[in-house]
Amino acid sequence: MLEKELKDIVGEKWVIESDEKKLYGFDGFTAVRGEPRLVVLPGNEEEAVKVLRLLIKNSVKVIVRGSGTSLSGATVSLTGDEVVVSLTRLNKVYSQKGFEIEVGPGIVNAMVTMNAPPHLFYAPDPSSYQVSSIGGNISHDSGGIHVVKYGPTFNSIISLRVLLPNGEVEEFPSSPVFNFSSIFIGAEGTLGAVLRARLRLYLKPKFKKSIFATFNSIRDAGKAIVDVFKSGVIPSALEMMDKYSIIAVENSRYKAGIPEVDAILLIELDGSQADFEERRVKRVIEDNGGEMLNVKDPNKLWNARKGAFPAMGVISPAYLTLDCDVLRGYLPDVLVKIREIALKYNVYIANVFHAGDGNLHPLISYDPSDFNSFYRAVKASDEIEKTVIEIGGVPSGEHGIGIEKVKFMEVYYDETSLNVMKRIKNVFDPYNLFNPCKMFGNCKVENREVKVLWEWD
Amino acid sequence: MGMGLEEALKCVHCGFCLEACPTYVVTKSEIHSPRGRITAFKLGINSDGFQTCMFCRRCELACPSGVKYSEIIKTVRRPNPLEKIAVKLLDRPVSLVPFLRMLRINAFIPLEHREENEDLILFPGCLTSVVFRNSVEKVLNYFKSLGYKVSVYNDMCCGLAHEHIGEVQEGKERIKRLKDVFRGKVVVSLSSNCTAHMRENGIENVYDLAEFLLKFNLPLPKRDGEVTIHEPCHAHLLGIDNYIRPVVEKMGLKVAESEEPSFECGAGGDFFIFNRELSEKVMEVKKEKTLKSGVKTVISTNPSCSLAFLKMGLRPIHIADLL
Repeated sequence: MLEKELKDIVGEKWVIESDEKKLYGFDGFTAVRGEPRLVVLPGNEEEAVKVLRLLIKNSVKVIVRGSGTSLSGATVSLTGDEVVVSLTRLNKVYSQKGFEIEVGPGIVNAMVTMNAPPHLFYAPDPSSYQVSSIGGNISHDSGGIHVVKYGPTFNSIISLRVLLPNGEVEEFPSSPVFNFSSIFIGAEGTLGAVLRARLRLYLKPKFKKSIFATFNSIRDAGKAIVDVFKSGVIPSALEMMDKYSIIAVENSRYKAGIPEVDAILLIELDGSQADFEERRVKRVIEDNGGEMLNVKDPNKLWNARKGAFPAMGVISPAYLTLDCDVLRGYLPDVLVKIREIALKYNVYIANVFHAGDGNLHPLISYDPSDFNSFYRAVKASDEIEKTVIEIGGVPSGEHGIGIEKVKFMEVYYDETSLNVMKRIKNVFDPYNLFNPCKMFGNCKVENREVKVLWEWD
Repeated sequence: MGMGLEEALKCVHCGFCLEACPTYVVTKSEIHSPRGRITAFKLGINSDGFQTCMFCRRCELACPSGVKYSEIIKTVRRPNPLEKIAVKLLDRPVSLVPFLRMLRINAFIPLEHREENEDLILFPGCLTSVVFRNSVEKVLNYFKSLGYKVSVYNDMCCGLAHEHIGEVQEGKERIKRLKDVFRGKVVVSLSSNCTAHMRENGIENVYDLAEFLLKFNLPLPKRDGEVTIHEPCHAHLLGIDNYIRPVVEKMGLKVAESEEPSFECGAGGDFFIFNRELSEKVMEVKKEKTLKSGVKTVISTNPSCSLAFLKMGLRPIHIADLL
C-alpha cells in the first residue's frame, strides 16, 4: 500500500492521512480549496527522492509544496488525487563559497541572507521573504521590491539540481549555452521538483537612502516614476501605494503614519552614488508636484509596504492579488482605469506595487462567504487583465499563473507559443503527473469558483 | 458568533506567522503552525496541533491582519489530567516543591515576608518563588535597604498558565481576585510574562521589576561583564521587555546581541513537561540563537525561561540577582 511504503521512507508521523491533510488543501490563494489525497514531508533530499520516485512509479499525481504562500493557488489540489510533497524540511545550507550559496528548496528566503557572510546578501525579496521558500521562489521566478535593480529570482540562479518526472535526478552545471536550469525557473512545479539551488549573492551596498514622497494625484505620481529613470537614476527600489492601500495599512499593525494622500512613492537608492542620486530624485518629485515625507524610521514605512497585502485583512478576509506588468509609461492610465473598474463592479481595490518595474498589484477584496462578491471580484480582475494585455502588458509578473490566471494564457499568448509550451511540458512530463491542472487548466473541475476563474462569460 | 470564530475569519492565510512559531520552526509542518491551527479550527478538524501550541503568541506580532490567535487557541486547547492538577498547585507555590523535585528541579520553600502598611507588594510569580527564591530575597533586601516597606505575595497564580491550557474561566477568576487584592497598591513582579498577563487583563498597577527600577529612577549598582538579553514572549508582545536593556546598560554591563532575542525559550509554561520532544528541539534552536551572541550569561526575567536556559547549559540571571 502506498501509505505504508511512504511511511517506511519518511517515518510514520511525516505522512498525513487524517483530516489534517486539509490543512494542505490551499495556500495564500484562498478562493479555491482542495483536499489532497495525502501529504508527505520528507526529512532530507534522499527521502524526497525516494518519495517522489515511489509516487512516479505508481503514476500518482504530485504537488510539490514549500511554505504555501502562493498567491495564484499553485499548490491547491484540484482533483483530490494529488499527493502533496512538502519540501519545507529540506532547508539546509549545503555550502557557501565566494559569491555563491547552495541551499535546499525548503529554506526560507530571509534565511539565505542570514546564512551569507555579513558583507553579502541574496537580492530577490518578495514581500513574503520572511516565510516563503526558495523552491517556491524559483518555481514562480519571484520578484520583490529590489527587482528594479537586481532582477527577479532568475538573475540570482546559478544552477539547480532537479528531480524530473521520469524519476531521474539531474544536476545541471552552470552553462552559457543552453542554460539548462532556466526552464525550471517559473515552471510552477509542472516540470519536476527543485532539490537544490546554487544562488548568487551580491555585495551589500554600503550606502542606502530612502525617499518617501506623497502625491495628490496618481497621474503625477505615475509621471514622477518615469521621470526618475529619465533623470538617469536606477533606484534599488521604487514602490507605490495608492490611497486605498494606505487606508488598509494604516488600519493594520503596520500603521506607519502615512497621510491619506492619493499616492505615496517609496524610493530606495543604494551604492556610492546615492547622495548625488538623491538630489536628482528629489528634484523630479518636486517638478511633478510631489511632497517629501520626512520620517524618523524609514524601516517602518518599508515594513508597511511589505505587510500591505495581508494588511488587506482589515478590509475584508479575502482578496485576489493580480501581478500584471505594464510599461512604466502606461502606469498612470492603467491606474485610472483600475479605479473606474472598481466603481463599475463595486469592489474595493487597493494598489500597492513595484512601480519601478511596472509590476502592478491590484488587490481586489471580496467576501468569501458571498459568492456574488467573489464573482464581481473576478470580473473586475478579468477586465484589469484584459486592459493590461491590450496595451502590451504581461498577465503575471511574479506570482504565477497557478489556478488564478489560467484563462489569460490564451489572451496573452498566441496559439504557436501555447503549443510550444505544451510540447515542452509533454517532453518533461508525458503522463502529466507534476502539478496537474495548473497553468494550462485542462482539468474537469466541478467547482464553481474555478469555473468563474477559468471561463469567460 | 464566538470570539474564536470572529478572529479566525480575519485570517487571510498568508503564512506570515509560520516562521514566528517555534513549533513550526522545528517541525516545518502546517499542523504545528498558527495558520494550520486556525484553519483546523475553521474547518472543525480536531488537530494534534492544538495541543502542541506553546502559547508564546509570537504569531500575533507577526500577523499583518491583526488576528488575535490566542482567542482562538484558548477555545480548543484541552488540559490533560496532570496539567489540571499542576495548575492547581500554582496557587500555593509551596505545594509545587515536591512536584518540581520529582522533575529534578531544585525547589525551595517560598520566602514569606509581610509588613504593615507596605509601600509595595512584591509578586515573585509562583515558579520564581520556589525555584528562584534567592532572587526574591535579593530584591526584597534591595527594596528594604532603600527604606521601602514590602510584603511578598505568594498566594495566587496570575492565571496565565490556566489560559494557556484552555482553562479560560479559571484564569479569569484569578485575574479578578488579584485585581481586588492589589487594588490601590503598587505591585512589582519578578516574572515578566506574569506581569504582561496581568497588565493585558487590566491590572494596571503591576510593574515589571526592570520597569519599576527605571520609571522611579532607583539607584543601581555598577556591574562588570558581558551578557545577552532574552525577551520573554508575553512581555515582548506588550513591549514590557523594553525596560530590561536600559537597566542592564545603566549598570554598566555590556550587551552582546543574540539572534531573535524574543524567540521562544522552549519551556512554554508547562509545555516542557508534557511535550518533551518538541520542547527540546525548540530549546536547541534557542540555544543556537542565544550563543550567536558569543556569551553564555543570559538576562532572563521569567522563571520558565530561566529553567530552559539552565537546561541548555547556559547561565540565566535575573535583574534581581544583579541588585
